[in-house]
Amino acid sequence: MRKSRNSATSLSRRTIMKGSLMAAAASGTATFFGPWRHNRVWAQGAKPIKLGLTCDASGQYGNSGQDDLRGMRLAIDEFNVKGGVLGRKIEWTTADTETNPATGTRIAERFIAQEQCGFLLGAVHSGVANAITQVAAKYGTIYFNTNSSAPSEAGENCSRVKFVWDGNGTNFSKAAVQNALEKIGKRWLLLTNDYVWGHTTSAATKAQVEKAGGQIIDNLLIPQNTRDFTSYLLKVQQIKPDVIATAVGGDDIKALRQQVSDLRLEDKAAWINNQQDWPDIWGAPETLFGVFGTTWYHLLPLPGIAEFVKRWQTAYPQSPIPVPGNVSYNGYMATRELLRAIVRAGSTNNLKVIKALEGHKMTAADRMQHFDAYIDPATHQVQQTIYLARRNAKPVDKTDLYEIISWTKPESALDDAAPGKCKLKPDAEVPSYEI
Amino acid sequence: MGTLLNLLPHLVNGITLGLLFALIALGFMLILGLMEQINLAHGSLFALGAYFAYAICAPRLPLPPDVLGMWAAVPLGWRFAAAVVLAPILVAPFGLVLERLMRRTYGRDPLYGLLLTFGVAMVLEELIRMVWGTRDYILPVPREMSGGFIMLDLIWSTYRFWAAALAIVAMAGVWAIVERTRFGAMVKAGAHDSEIVQALGIDLTRLRVWVFVLGTMLAAFAGVVLAPLWGIRPHMGVDAVVPAFLIIVLGGVGSFWGAAIGGLLVGMVVGLSGAYASEWSMLSMYLLLIAVVTLRARGLFGKKSVLEV
Amino acid sequence: MAPGRLVPTFTPAMLVSWLLFATVPMWIERVGLYQYLGVEILIFAIYALAYNLVLGHAGLPSFGHGAFFGIGAYAFGLAQFNLAASLWVGLAVAVLAAGLGGTLVALFISHRRGIYYALMTIAFGQVFWFIAIKAHSITGGEDGLLKIERLPVALGIVTFDLRDNTALYYFVLAVFVGVSLLLWRLVHSPFGRIVKAIKQNETRARFVGYDVWRYKAAVLIISAALSGLAGGLFSMAQTSAFPDVMSLHYSGYVVMMTLVGGGLVSFWGPVVGAVAFFLARDMIGALTTGWMLWFGLFFVALVLFKPEGIAGIFAGLATRKHKTTSAPVSNPQPQER
Repeated sequence: MRKSRNSATSLSRRTIMKGSLMAAAASGTATFFGPWRHNRVWAQGAKPIKLGLTCDASGQYGNSGQDDLRGMRLAIDEFNVKGGVLGRKIEWTTADTETNPATGTRIAERFIAQEQCGFLLGAVHSGVANAITQVAAKYGTIYFNTNSSAPSEAGENCSRVKFVWDGNGTNFSKAAVQNALEKIGKRWLLLTNDYVWGHTTSAATKAQVEKAGGQIIDNLLIPQNTRDFTSYLLKVQQIKPDVIATAVGGDDIKALRQQVSDLRLEDKAAWINNQQDWPDIWGAPETLFGVFGTTWYHLLPLPGIAEFVKRWQTAYPQSPIPVPGNVSYNGYMATRELLRAIVRAGSTNNLKVIKALEGHKMTAADRMQHFDAYIDPATHQVQQTIYLARRNAKPVDKTDLYEIISWTKPESALDDAAPGKCKLKPDAEVPSYEI
Repeated sequence: MGTLLNLLPHLVNGITLGLLFALIALGFMLILGLMEQINLAHGSLFALGAYFAYAICAPRLPLPPDVLGMWAAVPLGWRFAAAVVLAPILVAPFGLVLERLMRRTYGRDPLYGLLLTFGVAMVLEELIRMVWGTRDYILPVPREMSGGFIMLDLIWSTYRFWAAALAIVAMAGVWAIVERTRFGAMVKAGAHDSEIVQALGIDLTRLRVWVFVLGTMLAAFAGVVLAPLWGIRPHMGVDAVVPAFLIIVLGGVGSFWGAAIGGLLVGMVVGLSGAYASEWSMLSMYLLLIAVVTLRARGLFGKKSVLEV
Repeated sequence: MAPGRLVPTFTPAMLVSWLLFATVPMWIERVGLYQYLGVEILIFAIYALAYNLVLGHAGLPSFGHGAFFGIGAYAFGLAQFNLAASLWVGLAVAVLAAGLGGTLVALFISHRRGIYYALMTIAFGQVFWFIAIKAHSITGGEDGLLKIERLPVALGIVTFDLRDNTALYYFVLAVFVGVSLLLWRLVHSPFGRIVKAIKQNETRARFVGYDVWRYKAAVLIISAALSGLAGGLFSMAQTSAFPDVMSLHYSGYVVMMTLVGGGLVSFWGPVVGAVAFFLARDMIGALTTGWMLWFGLFFVALVLFKPEGIAGIFAGLATRKHKTTSAPVSNPQPQER
């Protein structure tokens, strides 16, 4: 872990604070300690651009957070080899956000105020992403939610400073539900992880199912960190649904998969696991079952992927997960696009970088996916190809765990409700800064 | 009738769960009974048992590769059996050290023992994080004990019943030791009146060490048995020690049958509430405790103890 | 302390600490820390002082105090969303709600002592924590109650904005000074003396004719209410309220802070403990992720060798010339240090 080396540079910020205090006093207004919205200006020149990587190293998403980090670091290293961005080196710092929103708040405060990070990246858990967004919005700091796929992230909890890089629960539901309903049956049971991602994802599934004429017979809420699923599995057997749609993540879904496959319950009903993250798969591949969603797979037959996987493996020969998956991919893509956006903006000014990102189009070849992607200007979500997969019966090597069964255009998997729920603040209300 | 049939599986689930809870509480009860010490590190010893079992079953031990290879070639059934026996023995020294530390708190307000073991629990949890990392592990179960079987038209986990059976064996063993041996008689006498025991020429210090080691090994044994069901992760200790604490108070301090029945009661309440309001089921045990202890100050079978000072 | 003796409004140690705290925003960034950390430290100092009323002064081991802190945090946010967007209303509701929670718990446990007291507080703490997680529609569940505003301090003609961490720090400092004055007064009032008598010997106190139950209940309720105040401030600092401050772990942290600082022997000890705890977390935490290991070892060593905590170590050094023995006290009392 790298530590902050530039605590001395924080002086200028203090000076400004004092200045504004005196100005407020002098102008005779009643608001002391204000105006709060000051613009941070630091000395220009060859000063490095610093990124704060808010990655879980422990808790439910500890594994995924670290895989996310590997993707981000690869992108940063590739830019630094080419001479950085705007002639400036990219530095980074990371700290364990512990899959815990309160810790996320504190780390974000520390990264912005103490470590002088100009940009924050990383999150797998929607609660942590929310918490970081709040702090980032307060300072105007641009934040990339790399891997949290709660529909609310680009809906009611969206922000002008936040960009969401993963496909969300609604996207996956849209890609999966219609088909399953027609082919398998109308009686659906939901298993929902008891937090925002679980709730909003299951709500999206429910809406899709009911729209297509299906019926939700029950929704079992599963507390985070549940390991013993016996009572849920008994209820599942008693209810006898046609389809079981799960929105369970991280180590929880790993434990659930283990218990379901141990009891051979995977054949009792059709299982649809909303999105499965590669780090959760890799821990226990033999328990993979049902149909599930993803945004990327390292053996997609597309140009550039083999070469990317090789670069990633060269950078991380010791990685506990031997190949990049969707989580590391998202971390890489997000970081690369941030740095490219800074180049396009020709500045680290947050408002200019936001402008360079909004509506930005990325070609399929560039994204290593089947279809072109774009950053939705209304919600700040990256609209991208959505894949459905199942366990591969004929793997070519020991990492070939998926059989990709469909790929859906971003336009067909669009979360139609999101723009109505997302109210982005106008630029004028975003504190501006430049590092 | 239909409702009853629907409920039956949850009742069976509750009973197996209750036996497992009682198993966790057993070592805790022993140490509390004789030493009048609350061992909050009980959960960490439980966790250590699970981690050692994992190290034995899924060989990534720091051994020469050929030795490791030979061990990995041993059938999982034998490795699992070795873990059940060896893990408690490996954890026992931790209990010895803890007992040494606790000696300073004997005769003082029991609050100090509680605080000491709270600190030790925190230290052990961090040590586990440093050695094994923060990720989850799954303890592999031998083929003969895993999988499912059909009962009441439902598929059940075979291992769960193996675990419940192991819990019964451990409980019977402790019962035999406490009720049928000279050692047990001394332990019970010591719990009752330590001065008389010393006057009879019994070495109370040694007695305490043995009780502590036995309690520690029971904690580790519970950790091994429960690891395949609850998974292995650093804070699994907290998940175990709180129910243990609760069961003892529910059942009554110093009562073997209190612990057993307390465990079963908690299991049933959690299991049955799981049938109707699964997401609230873990709360039910706390409500049960508050209700019971409000009505019966010393729990179901409790006698007067140091805890009321 | 002899009854009737005049007690000063505050001690030199308190005054020096307040002045020192007042200078913190001027240098905290120069030593490589950040303003927000100062806010958290002061809030937990308030919390630990309030908690010590129960643990140190009344000798009641509560292990579920996080519940009251958390109730205060949620109440502040909920008042803001549903009642009125006023700082004063929010803080008042936080104090009231936590006090109400304390009253409920006190009804069940005030006739308890020792470890049974500890156990029942754990059970109640868990119940509140569970409710906070499960009552999504009210608390936001595991993701917490978000978008809580840092409301301005409205003092009639002038208004202070608290959105900046430095401004919030000074506001929290003002509350901290107020709470410490109040608690100091309370501890040295006739009420405080009776509480101390109950701690020393509950049976005797009852025999003398005090209604022990009512005093024990009152102590818990006051402590809970002030913990709720700290919780309200915390939700403002974090602009959110999260359930994990109500967990057993967090309840344990405040016990650790209070003991490490020396709450058992010193009124001011909990403040020392809160500072030590957060500095350890941020400074050792920057070097190694296993900071809790070192803090835990330090805690274990203190319980074993110096249950009087950091304050006790200093006091021991100060009185060494008088050859005072520092043998562990079996039932130590907070003194006026």
